[in-house]
Amino acid sequence: MSEPAEISATAGISAAEGVIYALAIGAGPAGRSVCYAASDAGLFGTRDGGVTWQPLYASLDLPEPLPAMAVAVPPDHAADGIVFAGANGGVLRSFDRGATWHVAQLPSPPPLVVALAMSPAFSDDGVVFAATEQDGVFRSADRGGRWVAWNFGLLDLNLFCVAVSPAFARDETLFVGAESGVYRSANGGRAWRELGFPAAAAPVLSLALSPRFAADGILWAGTESSGLFVSNNSGESWQCCLDGEIGAINALATAANLAGSTTLLLLTADALLRSQDGGMTWQDLSNLLEGDGGALCLTAAGGLGAGATIFVGRTDGTVRRVILPASAAL
Amino acid sequence: MAKPLIPRVIFQPAAGAALGRGIGRIVDAVRPTLGPRPRLVSLQRTGRADTPEMLDDAGLIARRIVQLADRDEDMGAMLARQMLWRVHERAGDGSATAAVIFESIYNQGLTYITAGGNPMRLRRDLEAGLAGILDQLAAMTRPLAGRHALEHFAYTVCYDAELAHMLGEVFDVIGEYGRLDIRGGQGRAIEREYVEGMYWEAAPYSREMLTGQAHQRVDLEDVAILVSDLNIESGPDLVPLLDAAAQARERRLLLICQSLAPQALALLMANNQAGRLQVIAVHTPHVGTKQKAALEDLALLTGGQVLLQAAGDSIAGAKYACLGHARRVWADKDYFGIVGGRGDPRALRAHLAELRAAVAAATDPEARKELRERIGKLMAGSATLWIGGATETEIKLRSELAERTAEALRGALMEGIVPGGGAALLGCRPLLRKMAEDAPDAAARVAYRILINALEAPARTVIANAGCDVARVMGEVDRAGPGHGFEVHGERVAPMLEAGILDAASVVRIASAAAVTTAALALTTDVLVHHAKPVKVYEP
Repeated sequence: MSEPAEISATAGISAAEGVIYALAIGAGPAGRSVCYAASDAGLFGTRDGGVTWQPLYASLDLPEPLPAMAVAVPPDHAADGIVFAGANGGVLRSFDRGATWHVAQLPSPPPLVVALAMSPAFSDDGVVFAATEQDGVFRSADRGGRWVAWNFGLLDLNLFCVAVSPAFARDETLFVGAESGVYRSANGGRAWRELGFPAAAAPVLSLALSPRFAADGILWAGTESSGLFVSNNSGESWQCCLDGEIGAINALATAANLAGSTTLLLLTADALLRSQDGGMTWQDLSNLLEGDGGALCLTAAGGLGAGATIFVGRTDGTVRRVILPASAAL
Repeated sequence: MAKPLIPRVIFQPAAGAALGRGIGRIVDAVRPTLGPRPRLVSLQRTGRADTPEMLDDAGLIARRIVQLADRDEDMGAMLARQMLWRVHERAGDGSATAAVIFESIYNQGLTYITAGGNPMRLRRDLEAGLAGILDQLAAMTRPLAGRHALEHFAYTVCYDAELAHMLGEVFDVIGEYGRLDIRGGQGRAIEREYVEGMYWEAAPYSREMLTGQAHQRVDLEDVAILVSDLNIESGPDLVPLLDAAAQARERRLLLICQSLAPQALALLMANNQAGRLQVIAVHTPHVGTKQKAALEDLALLTGGQVLLQAAGDSIAGAKYACLGHARRVWADKDYFGIVGGRGDPRALRAHLAELRAAVAAATDPEARKELRERIGKLMAGSATLWIGGATETEIKLRSELAERTAEALRGALMEGIVPGGGAALLGCRPLLRKMAEDAPDAAARVAYRILINALEAPARTVIANAGCDVARVMGEVDRAGPGHGFEVHGERVAPMLEAGILDAASVVRIASAAAVTTAALALTTDVLVHHAKPVKVYEP
């Protein structure tokens, strides 16, 4: 098993003040990836695998820190350098990897953006979604310039997460996890439908779609206290596949594996689990999460198999880099 | 001396023949409207100077025919009329389909009974055949989803490209239960408007509360809401609640009440000017049971508690804990709306599930419509379609067409679609042939064959209305196999689903069920009894 490398981010993010709410990773110039961390203290970035972190809001010259609750980069980040960061009342976007920022105000009352997701075909369609704490979903179809609330059929505007179909350009499907369950839009976020997720198992903190979602319709929902749920029919019905003893499932990530199945990574405050068979068996990688702060978010670059690197953000303001070991099912 | 009023009694075979003639009159009136090349039916209005009413909706045409001159025929006509109107009310479409199936079954069945068949046995076998038809239709049903599919389906109902385009978009957004208001527009085009959140028709107690805002409208953020049907008769009664709200650092309050005395209104206006707590007072929406339902929904949406006169509640006794909350509230001179109510979303989901179950169980069309409207209100959005046209007559016709198409779209979204142009009904024939082959006796075989012939009637009528050779085309359709039908615009036989010629499964199901059960009932009628003095009835 490869030894994990821990790299504290305290150089850029104050461990005393900050909580790392979201991470995003994108390809940078010269083939080096760039990792972004959204925290109470603002947005930070690293180009050296987490060794050093730079505050990215410096150009805004703010009198006090502007908390960032969400961050997202498009698949074509290497070419366009676009970064979106969610804040209280708006979305900040940068076209130069965080060197300079443009502020897009969201309609009043000021919503708190808690998650961002982009169309996999962002370079063509420019579609990006912002999930908010009390105001539902906002959608932009012009690369984040103008935002419109589209909450038709969304019975619950208290959102925690948003996930977009890998085949969004064709199926226009996305999901949000909310206080009362999971909701789906099949028309690019213009309207929402309640799904058969059991209300008693909500809230839903994290969502992940199968890399082959368009063909298999599989997605997973991580809850606060009821465990992990899976749906094989685009969210119409759900089954519990990991009980609530695991704790609040703060983040999920998926990747296709060579066996033709889906590798699923599950993160709680103190546990990191990996399944190589779509959630049927699990490998405990929690020993890779050493540290005081609870794990809250993760991002991965280049799959979830052996040797892949992931970053885990924690409540103490540190980011831990983990190199995933080879599989060994429990 | 006045002529004595004696009831008239008609026996067989005159009774059956008279019913058949009356049914034929109604069916002949609506038959031209079936298919994509319908012809209009012109109805004289009551005023001599009025232009005739031009209709292509079988349900409406049937409803306009309130009486036939021959009282024997009239009974058959009214039987058909009632059935067609019920189909129209329940499905929004399919009345002409039901009409031709109904007539075919009745005429064939009457021939069989006249030749000595047992009407009660025939009725039982027809109803057994109907169960097979409904199973077969369920097996053929496919879900309808996506804007383009909705638009295409709408076009097969209304044959108005602009209207179909708009309705496809609107229903893609609002869904099967979504609230859609169809209103006459100003220009020639059709326009649509979406409204976020839920709104009710209820005016504020004073326009002064809206003064100073653009378009006589006020928008408030983070609002406390009192949901009640109380009569607020004095200003001082309001003070404890206003004080409690202010102490809880509320800045805005929406007060929903049945009535507001001038002194209480004056107090609120003075309070608004002071600027501590901005209050908008609006009338309690609706009356009677609709009001009770609206208050229940409002409380659920906002997380508040309803204060009711009937429960002995009073505004003086209202506590801060009774108030609901919403992210945004707006009001104009006619309506008020709520966006982002702070009620428990789990309770809202459970409430909606109950309402959906009630819709499924409701048999009364009006009750079903009210329940559907309630669900639509709670679904966090609604749409308005403004129908344009060159003349008032065109706007009215197009609005009626839009209502009908919207109803068919709702049905198709809820229950799916089947091959259109009568192809779904043709697809039920193999099952009925098998049932006839396996039937234990000749009587059952006759019933199934009657149904086989009757299920061809809609397709035959569509072909005939298109001006084509029915025998030749039906032969081609039969040779082409299941799912095929006559594509009228291309004048060719085609697979209907692939050609995008679709019917709402609910429409075909309701039309065929109504036609078979009503015809089976009519065939068991042996005697007609007339009132001595005929009673005119305008409601079916």
